[in-house]
Amino acid sequence: MSGVTFKQFKFDAHKAIADPVLQGAVDGATRTFRTARAAALADVPDVDELRDHFKAIRSATLSRLADHLETFERQAAAAGAHVHWAQDGAAANRIVVEIARQHGAQMVVKSKSMATEETHLNKALIEAGITPVETDLGEWIIQLAGEPPSHIVGPALHKTRQQVAELFSREVGRPLDPDDIPALTAEARRVLREKFLTADIGISGANLAVAETGSIVLVTNEGNGRLVTSAPPAHIAVVGIEKICPTWDDAAVWLSLLGRSATGQPLSIYTNTITGPARAADLDGPREMHIILMDNGRSGLIGTGYEEVLQCIRCGACLNACPVYQEVGGHSYGNAYSGPIGAVLIPLLFGLESNEALPHASSLCGACLEVCPARIDLPRMLLDLRADEVDQHILSREEHLIESGIAWLLGQRRLFNFLADMGRIFQKPLVDQDRLLAVPPEFNPAGERRLPTLAERSFHDLWNNLREEDDPAAPVYGWLHLAAVVLALLFILRLLKGGKTS
Amino acid sequence: MTARDDILNKLRSRGRVPETPPPVWQSRRRFESLAARFAESLPKVKGEVIRVESPDGALETLDTLFNDLGAQRIVANGDLPTLDWAARWPDREWHLVGQSDGDLRAFCAAADVGLSGAEAALAETGSIVVAAGPTKSRLATLLPPVHIALVPESILMPDIFTWTAARRNETPANIAIISGPSKTGDIEQVLAVGVHGPRRFIVILYGE
Ligand code: SF4
Repeated sequence: MSGVTFKQFKFDAHKAIADPVLQGAVDGATRTFRTARAAALADVPDVDELRDHFKAIRSATLSRLADHLETFERQAAAAGAHVHWAQDGAAANRIVVEIARQHGAQMVVKSKSMATEETHLNKALIEAGITPVETDLGEWIIQLAGEPPSHIVGPALHKTRQQVAELFSREVGRPLDPDDIPALTAEARRVLREKFLTADIGISGANLAVAETGSIVLVTNEGNGRLVTSAPPAHIAVVGIEKICPTWDDAAVWLSLLGRSATGQPLSIYTNTITGPARAADLDGPREMHIILMDNGRSGLIGTGYEEVLQCIRCGACLNACPVYQEVGGHSYGNAYSGPIGAVLIPLLFGLESNEALPHASSLCGACLEVCPARIDLPRMLLDLRADEVDQHILSREEHLIESGIAWLLGQRRLFNFLADMGRIFQKPLVDQDRLLAVPPEFNPAGERRLPTLAERSFHDLWNNLREEDDPAAPVYGWLHLAAVVLALLFILRLLKGGKTS
Repeated sequence: MTARDDILNKLRSRGRVPETPPPVWQSRRRFESLAARFAESLPKVKGEVIRVESPDGALETLDTLFNDLGAQRIVANGDLPTLDWAARWPDREWHLVGQSDGDLRAFCAAADVGLSGAEAALAETGSIVVAAGPTKSRLATLLPPVHIALVPESILMPDIFTWTAARRNETPANIAIISGPSKTGDIEQVLAVGVHGPRRFIVILYGE
């Protein structure tokens, strides 16, 4: 993973903004998600209270995470699952590869999992000579395209039907009609059905893990989550340690917010809960189940100002609400996570220094906080990360010099005024109808920005004149003001007295 | 030190003050008729609901459906009303989970219809709950292109909160809450059904 420097982010953002196909696709998809979410939440009784309640659950759970993890481990083991622990992504991948080797696995099917995107499990499997097949339609599309997901919920939402038809045609070796989406879907069904039935292992993540019964819960619309965990003889689930949910009652709250926030569905089509491998008397289902509890930088956030980020349930609502995400697209974040949650999570998990640009990929408009089902204060954390960059001297020398220069200049009233006056004179040839003619392309990727000019007279100037020179009545205003204050004080005193005597 | 101890120690050493979790969220849904709400919700996500008065009515509906679908091969889970299915529909091929011999998986993969009962039905979302068990196959409700569920009105509940509140102690290996036919919007947000699971999800909701 190379990280996201300012240079890299700018480069990718420029590319995305200049791509009209991508812009159209991301605009359309995020709008669909936004509208559906708003309608779905409006239908829930006391939804604001429900979100507060959910936040309280998440916060309380994280405050005793170690205890809940132990409960989960005990219950999952009692149900017959093997529980493993992984300190980081590499360790999680090693465990998966090891299990796959024990099974002599050639091919594994996967259902969409952000945790295994985070660890780049597919790469590790391929290096071990094992073929991973993504089965979520969107994940399969980007696997065929050799790209990372561009959205937590809709990994291929940046792809058009033409691009999808091209990828599928190549895969099945005959041309497919891009305008017949049901036929494209049917083709995916045919190819992937065969994979489900012949795979040696199914690999999934978990949307949540219920401690009281040691269950993992997988939410899908396509049913691939059920197939991956039902058809192959063994199932491996990779679960981030923050996905713990203490009880089923809590899980109900979680689920009723997840589908609505993600796609605007009251519940996704399949809520699949798995508790251990198939029982001896069951006629189908995996005979072996492994759960890998993965830390990968999460434990270090507990008890810090960034703990809140672990309350995230990966619903993607903040991506859909984010004006920056809508312009720069998911790939600019250089990671499986993107949007506001990515901008906070990536630096925290994978290093602030190598991802210096991400805390700045936000206008701090607050839209993410408004839609987040767990009310995670992402804007606050984005600001805190920026402050950390200053404290840790991560910002470039130039930026540091410029910022401290400006800070100094703002304290020099005279010099500042002088420079502003100079600017007023020298801007003249660049002005067209109160706007600057050109903004350097550096700051103007879409070519539509027109900055206002320096005003003829500064506010400071106007204010001074108003008070002292131009207005002969200024001293009178001062006296009037004082009189008003005195009257108000007298009035308040009377009120207080009146209150006592009555 | 093992990875396990390392992670747990790290978490415990953070000095996080334990918080008390909030009291359990109670369902706030009040429906005049659970059946009506169920029948209203499921079609919104392209599921189908057929309401009938009695178990007999349910079987007659099945007659019609089998004919309309041209269903030849039917796999049936053991959570259905007791009945000699093969005798009632003798010219169709049946696999009764837990009773019939033969390869269940292969039968499911080639079946026209998967037939099941349900543990519970949630009115708010038009969902049914199916569990795995010795006579209850997961693949039967997953591989065939059509899933028909026979659901008595007596197992209707308001919503997922009432369901988790009524949960019993023992947890089967698999429980699925199914809220419609398999679907995707992954190609340009265009809704397409039947991507991996059933294309059609039909609930016959019957009175008793
Ligand atoms: S931060 Fe909130 S809105 Fe964004 S993905 Fe996570 S839970 Fe959803």
